[in-house]
Amino acid sequence: MQKDTPPGTYYTDDKYRRLARWLQDVMAPPQEREAQAGALQGEEAPHFAIPPGEYHPHFYQQLPDFIMALLKYDWQAVSRYAPLLYHLVGCPTCHAGYLDLYDALREAVSVDDDQPHVSLPAQVNVPAARHLVQLCQLLITQAEAVLKQARHEHRDDAALARALLRLAIKSGARIDQSSMRSRALQDLVRVAASAEEGTQEEPPALYSYSPSLAGVGGARHGKTVRKAAAPHPAGPSHEYPAIQLQDRSFTGTITQQEDTLILHLYGLDSSLRGQLVNISVPLGSLIEPIQWLGGNPRAIRSTVAVDGQGALTIPLGRTGLRLDDPKDRPLLEVTFMRVEIHPVR
Amino acid sequence: MSFTAHNLRYHAEESFPQLYAYLQRYAQRISGPSNANTYDLDLVVGHVVEQLVRLGLIGGGDRSPLTALDALSEAQFMAFLQRMVRNKFIDLWRKRHVPVSAVSELESPEGAEGEDNPLNEVVQPVWGSPPFATPEEAALACVSIQELRNLLKHCIMELSVAPRQLQAVLREIDEIGCTELMRSVLDELHSSLPPLEEPLEHQSQHKDHAHRKLRHCLQQHSSNLTVTVALRLTEYGVQDAAAGAFAVDIQTLAQDDLSDQDVRQGLTGLVAGGFLVWHGENTIHLSAAQRKRLSRYYRDDE
Repeated sequence: MQKDTPPGTYYTDDKYRRLARWLQDVMAPPQEREAQAGALQGEEAPHFAIPPGEYHPHFYQQLPDFIMALLKYDWQAVSRYAPLLYHLVGCPTCHAGYLDLYDALREAVSVDDDQPHVSLPAQVNVPAARHLVQLCQLLITQAEAVLKQARHEHRDDAALARALLRLAIKSGARIDQSSMRSRALQDLVRVAASAEEGTQEEPPALYSYSPSLAGVGGARHGKTVRKAAAPHPAGPSHEYPAIQLQDRSFTGTITQQEDTLILHLYGLDSSLRGQLVNISVPLGSLIEPIQWLGGNPRAIRSTVAVDGQGALTIPLGRTGLRLDDPKDRPLLEVTFMRVEIHPVR
Repeated sequence: MSFTAHNLRYHAEESFPQLYAYLQRYAQRISGPSNANTYDLDLVVGHVVEQLVRLGLIGGGDRSPLTALDALSEAQFMAFLQRMVRNKFIDLWRKRHVPVSAVSELESPEGAEGEDNPLNEVVQPVWGSPPFATPEEAALACVSIQELRNLLKHCIMELSVAPRQLQAVLREIDEIGCTELMRSVLDELHSSLPPLEEPLEHQSQHKDHAHRKLRHCLQQHSSNLTVTVALRLTEYGVQDAAAGAFAVDIQTLAQDDLSDQDVRQGLTGLVAGGFLVWHGENTIHLSAAQRKRLSRYYRDDE
């Protein structure tokens, strides 16, 4: 059963809810069942108190104002917020949120404004990686919830969703371990694609590359490509920083020459030889500091054809970010979490 | 150094370190040094951060509406966060049955569910229980619930040719409290369930077989295009004995009632969901694991 529309999403009667959960369990793929079991044991699976599928952003975000009105004895609040009130009666998730927030806001308004509450240390560290993983997952699921609601209400909230995804990218780029970063951002490409929906119809990708992980515990600094691994325009004697890409047994690299990011692909299918292709970098439009060739990172037309050996080298865009700078590199790695090759129509 | 709701809304990235440091420090204070446990601390801090994201505050900028949280002073906002931390700990300890004396020290005389809770007054809305904003939404949801329930009932009744499998499933449904559905099935079949105390031999095996049949029946009766294509992939895929993989072409999937375009659309949906690797070729290749996942694929009609 798919998470986005599980039977029972709208069920309010308890017996229906139980039936829906049973049905979900019957339909769940075996690995999902194991993941659920793992989550119950408190392992590393993301833990959200508010399950994304049962969260109603439209109502939830009205809670602070509604509660504040109640705390101020605004007797009109009940009629003004009647839809919310009725929703709360039947939605356990939003109801639990209401109780939590009601108590916290009641405490907050009883505090004297002028009284400083708690001091913070002058110097604080970057949050731990596990916190950043959770934060990224939260921001991505929130962006998805925003998009889902906007579609339901025929509104355009893509800008908010994109801002949340951008924040997830920046937070993810602070995670040193590549395996943890992948876990933090595992749904990013999928949600970013739905934020772009309607802007462009693309044929299915012929190749879909992702960075090869440096392995568990791999460092953020990634790999340095040596001469033997692949040819490079910067010159045969250089060792140069690169992002390694892989789709099945097909490989590619992203390198940089001064400000220009360059994509190298190897061993492309014989049907593409002599042909132009379209390159799509689905997360490209979320990364501000890159000026993409042609302006649209989802449709970068190759300026040269695939050669007789199935190789292709093309510039993708210009940026002040540096692949060899440990501060910039994670952001570039996230940018190229997915690189797709499409036929030219 | 300080932060407010405004910082989190407009300068989220810069404010995260302070927010986490503040929440962790306060959570440690509440839990006490002897009880501090990284998992609990993470759970509590994560809960507060989650609330701030779901409320549209963190990273909301000008794109999500301002709320009462934005109007809180710095001291009030920090008190709000502290209370959230404290309540989450109480919740955690309650679930683990930590001695009440320790918890009660933290609780205010009027707890979250105390007399001030205005929802205590509202037990049932005047016109029934649907929790929807509009009657149209409620009606739509009711129809979809009813349709799915009827489909499920139909599929359960099809198990009647294998009485032990039917019995295993009906017992399961009874155990989860859906006695009404169980009785309704039995009534229509003019049958009754053997007493619960009478053991059913090989129950888990019967249950597994029954679940497989239910999945197949639900897929068969779905009018969702992607589900139909998923079902046909599992049914028409021919196994290559050497490779162990399955292959099927688009024309076979189309049969008489779908166009090639429909099939491609369904396949694209499955690719997007990560169920399949397909790049537009005429022949679709499936591993045994993919086939197994597809046999459990189901979506509500959209």
